[in-house]
Amino acid sequence: MTDTALEAAALGKRFGRLRRSAGWALRDCSFTLPAGRVCAVVGPNGAGKSTLLALAAGLMAPTEGVLAVLGGPAGEARARVGFVAQDKPLYPQLTVAETLRMGGDLNPGRWDARAAEAIVAGGDLDPKARIRSLSGGQRTRVALALALGKRPELLLLDEPMADLDPLARHELMGVLMSQAAQHGTTIVMSSHVVAELEDSCDHLLLIGGGRVRLAGEIDELLETHTRVSTTADTDLTPHTVVESRTTGRQLTALIRPAAPLPADWRTGTPTLEELVLSYLRNPGATTPATAVKSRQESVA
Amino acid sequence: MTALTPPAAGPAHLTRWLIRLHRPALLLWTAVVVAVSGVLLWLRGPLADASAAAWKAYDACRTATCGYDQAAIIHYKDVYAYTTYAVLAAPFLVAAWAGAALTGREMETGTARLAWTQSTSPLRWFASRLALPAAVVTAGTGLLVLLHHLAWSAGKGRIGTLKSWYDLPTFYANGPVVVALALAGLVGGALAGLLRRGSLPALVAGLGFTGLLWYAVQLVMPHLWTTSTSVVALKRFAPTGGGLGVDEGIVTATGAHVSNLTCGNSENDECLAFYDRFDAVGWYRDYHPASHYWPLQLIATGLVLALTALLTLLAFRLLHRETGARRRSS
Repeated sequence: MTDTALEAAALGKRFGRLRRSAGWALRDCSFTLPAGRVCAVVGPNGAGKSTLLALAAGLMAPTEGVLAVLGGPAGEARARVGFVAQDKPLYPQLTVAETLRMGGDLNPGRWDARAAEAIVAGGDLDPKARIRSLSGGQRTRVALALALGKRPELLLLDEPMADLDPLARHELMGVLMSQAAQHGTTIVMSSHVVAELEDSCDHLLLIGGGRVRLAGEIDELLETHTRVSTTADTDLTPHTVVESRTTGRQLTALIRPAAPLPADWRTGTPTLEELVLSYLRNPGATTPATAVKSRQESVA
Repeated sequence: MTALTPPAAGPAHLTRWLIRLHRPALLLWTAVVVAVSGVLLWLRGPLADASAAAWKAYDACRTATCGYDQAAIIHYKDVYAYTTYAVLAAPFLVAAWAGAALTGREMETGTARLAWTQSTSPLRWFASRLALPAAVVTAGTGLLVLLHHLAWSAGKGRIGTLKSWYDLPTFYANGPVVVALALAGLVGGALAGLLRRGSLPALVAGLGFTGLLWYAVQLVMPHLWTTSTSVVALKRFAPTGGGLGVDEGIVTATGAHVSNLTCGNSENDECLAFYDRFDAVGWYRDYHPASHYWPLQLIATGLVLALTALLTLLAFRLLHRETGARRRSS
């Protein structure tokens, strides 16, 4: 097992090559995701999250740059990567049991039928039920069972919990976390709801406007940022300012301190949501290079 | 459900699931092939015999009122026409299915992406999508063409209204060009499905492609083999040489051929002026005699198969570029 799950260098993907107004869904993305992490890919709708996951799953080729997956080119690690697309595509004419059998047939040598069946059984699904008769949440469960059944080293989930009820969401998140803990599976899941991921993820990849705005261990990111309140006329240099707001004579800012802060500033640790929102509200804020580059020891 | 599948590494069973996913289409195709084959055998045996007997009675008839089984003659003719068109419909049936169901629907609903994120690469997935259907289509269409040829041959020299070998529907339904066209339809439809990302547009594109290809084949087919030429004196006003006509016109005093398809057998002022202008001394007709049947069929088949191979290559390259698979992984 390699110690790097994902490594992107100047990764870019453009759609609609023929049009002059062709849009870049991703541009200049460079980041490293160590293996064994549970990584949240966060960003507003249309930020490029799905594109990044599809690139990692080997479903499309990057327009520029490189994306290494489990130490090799994306697409070559296919057997070791699980992927659940946002709309949870499944063959509607198959039954639940057939869908899982297909997973076994298409992933020879990797398939863990018991694990897959356990996930399906957790939702009280009739194995003989056709996929077309299932609800959105039930389909999500089958899609997750299919992805987990191949015992992936890297699991890519695009908005996995969107159509699950809170109970199923909690249960399946538990299944995912125990999978990560037991097998050292790296999990990458996207969401535009930060709160959904805060408790379970230890790594963050914040994407905005097709670029990586923030990447790194969540704890580390929170530590290196400080929420400060001081008087309006304070000069914030030499610290890096992510966001600052003046209300009357009060200045509140989210900064990356470059030096010890003066004692008369009121400081606090931001929440993950505050951090994410500050970066998204301020597209001009520089991305901390250290956080992007920092390589962590592998868990696996 | 089995409690535990032993994790035996081996080839992924893509074909097994292709059959499972397209079972209704496979059953329908089998039913169509069996039904049309049955009718063709019936046509070849009892219907052809009945019609031949009726023709024999008709030919032997020397009086104004003698009985012969006219219904049998008409019956043979009708069933022959229906089965001919059934055989000719095969390429369109295949193209529509390939575009709509084989790739179009999978691209549209995202199940192609589901398949590509199992342990097999998109290229292998596509190869499995083409291989078995190509075999099934070749077998089915080939059988129909063979039986059609036999049914047609059964009437040769016995049935007065038998279509000539160069009657276009008969020409195509009797030979391997239709099999090649069905394969081209399969690949064309599958490629359209990859490109159009929707089952309905891909269905239409698959049908349109097959229609246009057939039209193109029809345009070039007469020129795929050197024609025979028959020349007669002008006064006879009827160029001889039965077969697939390609060109006809007048022979001038210097021996040159001037093509004119409209003044074939007419003495109107315009045509007479035309003969005078070129100093016509005879007629010529470029045509394919029956002996050219196989060369024409085989060269046209070869051309369509070459185009099909090219399209297959194109589809693989397209998928390869799009999904960025570096090579065909195991």
